[in-house]
Amino acid sequence: MRSLRLRFAIAVARSASATSKLLGHKGETLPGRILLAIEPEAISLLAQGKEVILVSGTNGKTSTTKAVTSIVSQLGPVATSGSGSNLAWGAANALMSLAPYAVLEIDELHLPSIIAQTDPTIVLLLNLTRDQLHRMHEVKRVADRWHVECSEATNTIFVADIDDPYINYSIVNAINVVRVSFGGRTHPDGAVCPRCGNYLTWVRGNYSCTCGLSNKINELKFKKGSASHRNAILANIVGEIVGADPVEFTESALERTVTKEMAGKKAHFRLTKNPASWTEALQGDLHHDVVLVLNARQVDGIDTSWLWDVSFKALKGHRVFVCGERALDMAYRIHVEGISPEVVESVDVAISLATGSEISVLSAYTAFFELVM
Amino acid sequence: MLEIIRIHNELLGTYGDRGNSDVLQYRAGLRKIKARVTDISYLDPLPRTGDIYLLGGAEDAAQLLSLTALRKGSILARAANKGAVVLAICAGFQLLGTKYITRDEEFAGLGLLDVSTAPGDKRLVGDIAVKSPLFELPLTGFENHSSVTTLGSEAKPFASVISGNGNGVAGLDGAMSENVFGTYLHGPVLARNPEFADLLLERALGTSIEPVVDDLATEYAKWRRALI
Repeated sequence: MRSLRLRFAIAVARSASATSKLLGHKGETLPGRILLAIEPEAISLLAQGKEVILVSGTNGKTSTTKAVTSIVSQLGPVATSGSGSNLAWGAANALMSLAPYAVLEIDELHLPSIIAQTDPTIVLLLNLTRDQLHRMHEVKRVADRWHVECSEATNTIFVADIDDPYINYSIVNAINVVRVSFGGRTHPDGAVCPRCGNYLTWVRGNYSCTCGLSNKINELKFKKGSASHRNAILANIVGEIVGADPVEFTESALERTVTKEMAGKKAHFRLTKNPASWTEALQGDLHHDVVLVLNARQVDGIDTSWLWDVSFKALKGHRVFVCGERALDMAYRIHVEGISPEVVESVDVAISLATGSEISVLSAYTAFFELVM
Repeated sequence: MLEIIRIHNELLGTYGDRGNSDVLQYRAGLRKIKARVTDISYLDPLPRTGDIYLLGGAEDAAQLLSLTALRKGSILARAANKGAVVLAICAGFQLLGTKYITRDEEFAGLGLLDVSTAPGDKRLVGDIAVKSPLFELPLTGFENHSSVTTLGSEAKPFASVISGNGNGVAGLDGAMSENVFGTYLHGPVLARNPEFADLLLERALGTSIEPVVDDLATEYAKWRRALI
């Protein structure tokens, strides 16, 4: 039974949500904030009696959360957070629903506190790489926090992609873990063992350390593949644990890609927000005309130094347009790599100048949302 | 052939500093000067014959591993004594000092610069602009560190801070001695400030180099100065 204060908090939050939507907002942040202001315990109170599943990681959170949601939906109604609404108030907002299941995408820095508050059934940990370092500071700092909380969450089953040494370190002391390995990939920030500080030995995408941390010790092993391939499998493992049938996803279903008709051409937008996701995107198929959009607001990361850790060689031979608030950061970066960029005012201008009928647009976080959501 | 040695990029490569070698090679190429960039990992011996050695920023554990490896044979200090150019950013700069103190331990540094580094009380993160006596215009970059670096009596500051924190004390950033340069500026600093790249090339070659016109580089540096 929900307490009087909790019910009052929900009522106020819901009316705020309606007002906020009338004003044209997506209405996910404000009600959650109000709910938590009136009832600071709301997340933990609302999570009681629900099967809560949390999804976190640097890349793939939103699309994997959607995949898990669609799998679990076979069992009954699922409360879930909206696109990218992954802080405490996003979780609070989603949990107001009476659905018996909740599948929530959670920001990396917020994950420990949300685990502590929701006592989740399952937590899916995807990966940890460099992202928004002005906020995260160091990858290891995030992993240390996960490590502590995962050790304490004794009721929770962790599904962990341990090809990422930071993920393996996070769950190394957890009680219930499904360690999943695909092998065949390296880690851009994985030179040092996050557990003991020694130099990790990497051989063909497998790592091991003198302290024993290794991805060769796992419960489930699958063939290697793209991020979409891996995340589809991870989502289905979560589904299997709660008793749902497996669902097959196309490769593109788990990419943050959106296709839009613009000026009679097809523009394929893909979210690229840090070295790992840029590298993944540049390894994929690209059309002859490519547009790179770079911003540097808070959620994009205000420091763009990381552009120099990405190889843009794949763009050689392509016609490359560059735009966004930090277009010149990108333009000079690829200029030094021997690619001549055309700096343009906007994606619209780039699309109108493009000669092909299909265009690849690789876009920073905030620009992606403005352009396609 | 100008030999550029990128030291332990897998350890000292957290904040994009690998771009410094790309820019050096690129700007050497604009003058038809051949330059080769060699990556030296933690497991490789450090070559003695480099013309320019580069060290970047790192997380704590990686920084200590790098320090351990670089102590062997004092190769970097010997190369610097013979006039090789050394550019060290952030964690790399801290390693060049005489002392490096963490929350738990104290380590002797490589001793190329008379500076010592200790933990500060807050993380220093954000855009930074500095004025170095080496250049007419301010340099810009981005800093992200929590340690504070104090200059000893023999150290010369690399620059004074216009905005941001730099060393975290005395309104100074970095340190320098002969051809050894340490700074807290990421960006990468040579991408954001092409005149600094040219100065390092000149020092490495021991001769002045002709100015080049790279409009995009100039426009970029100017735009970045205006942004701060």
